[in-house]
Amino acid sequence: MLELSMLTILLFLLVLTGVTALVVRDILAAIILFSAFSFFAVLLYLVLGAPDVAFTEAVIGVVSTVFFVAALKKLGRRYVS
Amino acid sequence: MNKPFGSIVLDISFRYLVPFILMYGIYVLIHGEYSPGGGFQAGALLAIGIILARLIQGEESSFNISGDTAVILAGLGTLIFAGVGVISLIWSGNVLEYGVFPLNVHKESELHPLGILGIEIGVTICVAAVIIAIYDALTRRDDAI
Repeated sequence: MLELSMLTILLFLLVLTGVTALVVRDILAAIILFSAFSFFAVLLYLVLGAPDVAFTEAVIGVVSTVFFVAALKKLGRRYVS
Repeated sequence: MNKPFGSIVLDISFRYLVPFILMYGIYVLIHGEYSPGGGFQAGALLAIGIILARLIQGEESSFNISGDTAVILAGLGTLIFAGVGVISLIWSGNVLEYGVFPLNVHKESELHPLGILGIEIGVTICVAAVIIAIYDALTRRDDAI
């Protein structure tokens, strides 16, 4: 029962952060929301009992966030036109 | 290396975080047989350590790897992977068959983790170098990419 409720909460947060990252106008906010989406995916994998996949997802979430911020700095604008 | 750089937060976080992240990457590589981890995660962790040093200190970082060197290192990692796979053909084994290595071990099954470790070292070097090369291409100053 505890595991089911944790799964429900995590899936709800996953959908919430994912949809918000799609519709938000600020690109930096979208990047940070995508990082939060990645972190909730890590927690979901841990609850489902796959620590190897969770470890990979955590590392790749950090690397992709750094990449997105670097690309945003090169892009020169902050908002979706 | 003894002179401070930036604010005290950057100074302390560089001197404590970067050695820890690099050593953790090595641990994940070596101990990947028995715990979660492996070549890909270890390479990404090493690349995170080097990218963090470069984010704090800039281009003249203590251990910076430039983009051209990173591409060469990626080819070297692929060469290690392919070399460990192909070298067992010399002792008339199949590709990636580690049991035929002429090393002095007690049991033949001990050769299998050694071969896996060789493969993982190649994967680690390749993944770390490719991540650094992508970061270098994203933050290059001139417009010609």
